[in-house]
Amino acid sequence: MLVASGTGGARLVALNAAAWRCGLAVGDLLSNARSKVLDLQVRDADPAADSDALRRLALWCLRYTPVVAPWETGEASGLFLDITGCAHLFGGEDGLLADLATRLRRFGLNPRPAVADTAGAAWAVARFTSPTQWGRWPKAGGGSDEMSVTETTSAPLRPCGAPPQLSLGRDIHIIPPDQQQHTLRDLPLAALRLDASTQAVLCRLGFRRIGELMRQPRAPLAARFGASLLLRLDQALGREAELLSPLEPPPSYRTHAVFAEAISLQAHVVEATTRLLRRLMPDLARDGVGIRILRLLLFRLDGEVQALQLGLAAPSRDVAHVARLIAMRLERLPMGLAADFGFEAAALHVTAAERIVQRQASLGIADEAGEAAGLAPLIDRLEHRLGAGAVRRLQPQQSHIPERAVVARAAAEAPAADWRIEAPFGMRPPLLLAPPEKTDDVLASVPEGPPRRFRWRGVLHEVAHAEGPERIAPEWWRPGPDATERDYYVVEDTAGRRFWLFRAGHYDATPTPPWFVHGVFP
Amino acid sequence: MQPDRNSNVFSLLRTARVHARIGAALHSVPSNCGRGRPRSENEDKVAALRQAVAQLENTWLGAPPAYLSLGLPDLHEHLPGPGLPCGALHEVIAAMHADTPAATGFTLAVMACALRARRGPAMLVVSRQAADFGTPYGHGLRALSLDAGRLLLVEARSGKDALWALEEILRSDAGAAVVAGVVETDLDLTMSRRLNLATAAAGTPLLMLRPPAATGISAATTRWRIAAAPARRDRFGAIAGTRWQVALERCRNGRAGQWELEWDHVAHRFGVAEVVADRASAAGPERPNLRRAV
Repeated sequence: MLVASGTGGARLVALNAAAWRCGLAVGDLLSNARSKVLDLQVRDADPAADSDALRRLALWCLRYTPVVAPWETGEASGLFLDITGCAHLFGGEDGLLADLATRLRRFGLNPRPAVADTAGAAWAVARFTSPTQWGRWPKAGGGSDEMSVTETTSAPLRPCGAPPQLSLGRDIHIIPPDQQQHTLRDLPLAALRLDASTQAVLCRLGFRRIGELMRQPRAPLAARFGASLLLRLDQALGREAELLSPLEPPPSYRTHAVFAEAISLQAHVVEATTRLLRRLMPDLARDGVGIRILRLLLFRLDGEVQALQLGLAAPSRDVAHVARLIAMRLERLPMGLAADFGFEAAALHVTAAERIVQRQASLGIADEAGEAAGLAPLIDRLEHRLGAGAVRRLQPQQSHIPERAVVARAAAEAPAADWRIEAPFGMRPPLLLAPPEKTDDVLASVPEGPPRRFRWRGVLHEVAHAEGPERIAPEWWRPGPDATERDYYVVEDTAGRRFWLFRAGHYDATPTPPWFVHGVFP
Repeated sequence: MQPDRNSNVFSLLRTARVHARIGAALHSVPSNCGRGRPRSENEDKVAALRQAVAQLENTWLGAPPAYLSLGLPDLHEHLPGPGLPCGALHEVIAAMHADTPAATGFTLAVMACALRARRGPAMLVVSRQAADFGTPYGHGLRALSLDAGRLLLVEARSGKDALWALEEILRSDAGAAVVAGVVETDLDLTMSRRLNLATAAAGTPLLMLRPPAATGISAATTRWRIAAAPARRDRFGAIAGTRWQVALERCRNGRAGQWELEWDHVAHRFGVAEVVADRASAAGPERPNLRRAV
């Protein structure tokens, strides 16, 4: 049994099953408890150790999902796991929960996992489903909290007509999608994660269950209790999004520095970062990895923390290059570097490191790509100023549809493509308009002739010469409104300018098929 | 690099070196460049002086002089060397807004020449406002024999960003074969000088495609004005090649000129179009001889 000082003396904050069976409850005065039970074993509660243990448990839960958020409110602590898209790896939600419960029991904990559409509903169900367990909960022998609440934010596929509540053995609950309203109706108000005073007032007004609250008009509730009550209700029912603050796994490489004097100039920040990077590099070099994602944390004198995240096109151990990217990043901060009082400390975390593949330098023999090692850092710098994906390469794709035959991919991800492939049958323009632009006033011979005249961007072009048609059929496996046969013509107007026009559809179809300019020739 | 500091050093250095080089060039007349045509002694001296000045202007940062051959001896006679000087800024301007595709095509064809002659990727910086006539299309670039696998497209949100990107590319050690920019903003003298210095240091040719309304003085080595021309036809009357009306408006250490150039889609090279008799008569009296040097 654990005690802590409270109003009127030491009170119980946690107790084990034996104590619970003796009729003790959390919140009782220690003196009362001693008078009830003679041989009590009493220890002081240690909240810091509790939260530490919860954090360790949260880190352990990262094996199930990347998003784990500890929920720490005294006795009602627990963990939220966002298992959207992760459950199938463990054989579905029930498989995941069974695995989680088994493993936690082996740790000597007593988990009560639940799955629901919303974090609020899962929290409520995990604590308040079984009527015998209302009120105060017994705790397992350990000092830490061990409730584990699992939630999913999106509805997984599930056969229709599933039972509304699937119970897998002891204390495991899965609420089917969109059933949280039905489930929550009979639960007590304490299941809404309200603060004690709101709960007490609601209790005095005669509200006992959530269902009674759901039936009330919202406006008076908001006026009497403020927004927090309705917010919690909506969050539990899925009407309002709930932001979890997920736990971040500790970075694999980190270093920090405390400055003797607070720094505030951008140049000084860059210099400090350079020194931190230099300190980090031997570790990276030892493991043969380079920085891929980096986070710089700047601790201001008044307690504010500025965080900058940086991604690189290729793993790098080049201090000068990374420092330059950080300098560019600082310059492009929307509000500037807010160093009001100066920064007293800085920390550098490498959150993602990747192996650097060592390549043999070519001994004067021209390699096929002919790309210098300086290209990846250049792409980094360009993308930091111009935005992600600003540097692109063209890659061919297997398609006859002109706009799908070439795709532009970010150069950081895409390797140089080999263009020594079979060329398409007809002429292709070096400049392609995306999307094709509609032309008006087209004069063309019906049903299948080249255009004689067309108006594009307000200018009337008289066609002097036309070649075609090249008919391109739509891809039948991609149905859509634009899946029509196109007849392409290369036309030259009287001024000597060449265009790539196509007619979408045939003249026998109603309405008249439109003409488009799809590209221009030099 | 800070241009203001360098320009002071440079001007001092330059005056000293110009005197030394020109003196040396006057005394030691190099052999004939091999143009085939016999030259007088004076002509040789002038050519040697020109080369000395050109070297001073382009090589003071240590880049070796190199020329990008366009494969057109007639045109090379107007240029300072056997082709476009590398490590220099070349402006390409469309005669009218509607000629922008033609000017883009000419730029891409010169880039294709550079890609075949030099190692490294080709970088094309396009500011978003300037991409009025569409985006580069891989299969179409092949018709200009430009290897799309070695082309990197850089999209900039504004002309200012595009100019920054051009300088950044030239100052990096990415080893680009050729850099081209499609920029709609006006290029002022300071910016063009900066780019000229950057390209001279890198030894990479820089092509700038600018809108027809481009005014103002720039430090470009050459300026080309491009207009569309009816395509070359084969004997069946089908389109067989792209043609441009090309005017070399200004050329440092060279002469201006005007040609009708064509791109051979099969051999992948430039050629000077034969001015067909009926075409010349149809053109009217205002352009009697397209090969006339201005």
